[in-house]
Amino acid sequence: MSFIKSYNIAFPHFRVEDNILHPKGKKGIMKAVCFPDEDIITLAFEAASGIPKENIDGIFFASSSPVFHNRYHASFLADLLNLSQGILALDFLNSTRSGTDALLVANDLIDLGKYKNILVISTDVDFPGIGKEISTPFGHAACALLLSNEKGIAEITSAKSFSASLSEEFSYKGNYIQNDPRFSRDAGFKTNLAAALKDFTSNPKSYDAVILNSLYARMAGVIFAKKGFEEKQFAKDMLVSKIGNTGSTHALLLLVNELENEKKNILVADYTNGTNFLEVKATSFVENKILHEQLNNYDLVKSYQDYLLLRKAGNFNSVKYKTKEMFSSEMMQEREKRTLLYLKGLKCDECGSVYYLKSVRCKKCKCDKFSDVQLSRDGTVYAFTNEHYFPASFPPITMTVIDLEGGGRMTVQQTDTMYPEKNKMEIGSKVKLVLRKMIENDAKPNYFWKAKQL
Amino acid sequence: MNKQGDIAIIGIGVTKFGELFHQSYDDLVRDAALQAVSDAQISMDEIGAAWLSTAFPEIGVFKGRSGMDLSEPLSLYNIPVTRVSNFCASGADAIRNAVNALRAGECDVAMALGVEKLRDRQPQDSIVKMMVEYGHPFLQKGFTAAGTFAVYANRMMHEFGVNREDISAISVKNHFHGSMNEKAHHRKACSLEDVMASPMVANPLTVMDSCPTTDGAACVIMVRAEDVDKNKHKPIFVQGIGLSVSTGWDMPFFDPNHDFLSFEATRTAAKSAYKQAGITNPIEEIDLIEVHDCFSIVELITYEDLGLCKKGESKDLIRGKETQLGGKIPVNVSGGLLSCGHPVGATGIRMVVEVSNHLRKNAGERQVKNAKRGLTHNIGGPGAIASVIILSNEN
Repeated sequence: MSFIKSYNIAFPHFRVEDNILHPKGKKGIMKAVCFPDEDIITLAFEAASGIPKENIDGIFFASSSPVFHNRYHASFLADLLNLSQGILALDFLNSTRSGTDALLVANDLIDLGKYKNILVISTDVDFPGIGKEISTPFGHAACALLLSNEKGIAEITSAKSFSASLSEEFSYKGNYIQNDPRFSRDAGFKTNLAAALKDFTSNPKSYDAVILNSLYARMAGVIFAKKGFEEKQFAKDMLVSKIGNTGSTHALLLLVNELENEKKNILVADYTNGTNFLEVKATSFVENKILHEQLNNYDLVKSYQDYLLLRKAGNFNSVKYKTKEMFSSEMMQEREKRTLLYLKGLKCDECGSVYYLKSVRCKKCKCDKFSDVQLSRDGTVYAFTNEHYFPASFPPITMTVIDLEGGGRMTVQQTDTMYPEKNKMEIGSKVKLVLRKMIENDAKPNYFWKAKQL
Repeated sequence: MNKQGDIAIIGIGVTKFGELFHQSYDDLVRDAALQAVSDAQISMDEIGAAWLSTAFPEIGVFKGRSGMDLSEPLSLYNIPVTRVSNFCASGADAIRNAVNALRAGECDVAMALGVEKLRDRQPQDSIVKMMVEYGHPFLQKGFTAAGTFAVYANRMMHEFGVNREDISAISVKNHFHGSMNEKAHHRKACSLEDVMASPMVANPLTVMDSCPTTDGAACVIMVRAEDVDKNKHKPIFVQGIGLSVSTGWDMPFFDPNHDFLSFEATRTAAKSAYKQAGITNPIEEIDLIEVHDCFSIVELITYEDLGLCKKGESKDLIRGKETQLGGKIPVNVSGGLLSCGHPVGATGIRMVVEVSNHLRKNAGERQVKNAKRGLTHNIGGPGAIASVIILSNEN
């Protein structure tokens, strides 16, 4: 048993409608899609940065679309988040069930008393093949949950994983494999779920929300009915039409959605080549409904051409300039991460000027005494310009000089600017710093702050 | 110590500025140096020390990394030659070093030569590429040179009621002047509409608010004033020379107290040069000025930084055509960087050659009447380093 102490959600700003992706697609059915400078790392960071970081002794990262091999995403994120070195950092990769896998293991470790606070982050960013966007489920999102031995908004009262030998669809050596659905769903999904249900649930009527996260969810009704569940208990997936199927993150999002819907007793069944069951009891109502709020905050992609640019399938260099590789240095990033990443600034003891960059003498008053100060991620635009000749997927790049709340000044790119008429910067605009990729061609993992207009 | 007028320029030379595909870096060095040596009526071997100004060897042809790239094309060996690099103030700094060496008695005849070969690559392979691929991967990433000055333009518009027409009028004026300069890169006058309708580079600066990338070289030969031969030379005297590094490459964009309305480097360099020259009211005491108009907004800001007007009043000078040829204080009668182009290492010296020509009454069609005293100004890095030189035909 463990508690969900807090959670946070991150969606990309843009959604694409099915009728943009395909002439036969439905208008109003949307998928959340990353801006070119977003990926699983930036989404995971954004979700996790809304979680209090005190006393975290474990970080689990779950995704079916990893970007690293031989490098732990969990460790990479722990570093970005400035968590302590040497904590338990594990990746749960390659399956759309990995989100609840991570949650389940975290719950067990806390239950065992080995760990106190484990940050579970799940995220998926994957694009289907060109032309297969309607037939392949996708959607980009991240969800972070802090599991703790201290009381929180909800309690995981019971959790268990049930393996299955058969898989309906999977990939093998890069090839997509689909077994005969009638055979595999019968011997796989139905058999596994029925056995798991029998073992896990003793009192079906006690749940006021039953979440079944599976591509074959609609075939599960009979199995659940046999066990004594009623139709009205099922929580319909209201997210899939708004953000798409977000893979490993989807089950967690559905759980958060029901918590925000103020459901008390929730059963989560997450099926991919086996089932994870979680029984969750809300201990208090969620006041700040982050998921519901974020679902309604987006802009739509206007054309398939823009969608292609977004996923970097088009020529993103508007000025016929082929950028090869931007200079970067691991040594420099490691050396300067206190400043670059953690936004630790210096405040002059004499005149109070706050410097983002390292300084030994105040430029204004020449005082050589400084105090450390944590810079804010919120700010106001002091000056800006639109750079039409700097290579970008969606030029111009707007460069913004920002005065941070509480002092300090930074100059960074504006992001999430697909359409010039939207998010137009002005002197005095309110912005928030978000961590994004600096090279759009994915040559290296380089993450730095950019300004997002509020 | 007042050293006003103790150093004299006795030889000047400048190449044609432009896309000089037929001339190499070495050819440009020879072209400018031989003009200056011939003008000074000396032999090459009288030169006792030289300074070579090239700002971006890596962009052009890997030439200009050291003093030897001046010696080799001129076969000028066995003397000290130093390469000077201080962004757009490199040329002026080469002159400053030569002046100080003459004062120190290190040599009797000194050469300062600036050269830049930018057009052996495509334009976007040079300046834009530099900003995209090199430098700090995060700090200021996204800026081109134009953008770093465009933020100043937006602050000027916000604070002082400067409008886009005021900024573009600088370009119109300088292109008009440049149409009279046979050595300018672009020799075509243009209208306000031309400037404002040209493609946007960094809001509010358009292509025609931006100087081109250009090849070129310029050279001056200097001696101590007492060594001037009145029968041979038409000397121009250095009355004041100021250079100031007042911020850094990244600092202005991360400095909580920077107002983006002024360049402290220009103000400091001008203060120093004015003091040396005994100037207290520049607009009355100076007859012509060459300002570093890499982007048109920089000229407007520099009016204020040089003390030609009060803060926030530069727009009135351009609106009143005071800085046009025939106005109260003609600025950039050469055509400026906007029209001449900007071979970075050569520009500062090119300006000194331009002012010298006016003070010698040898500037042809664009001659500023009765010019006795002129000023040159450079700023670079992009706003960190400035130089101001004051020249006179009297000492």
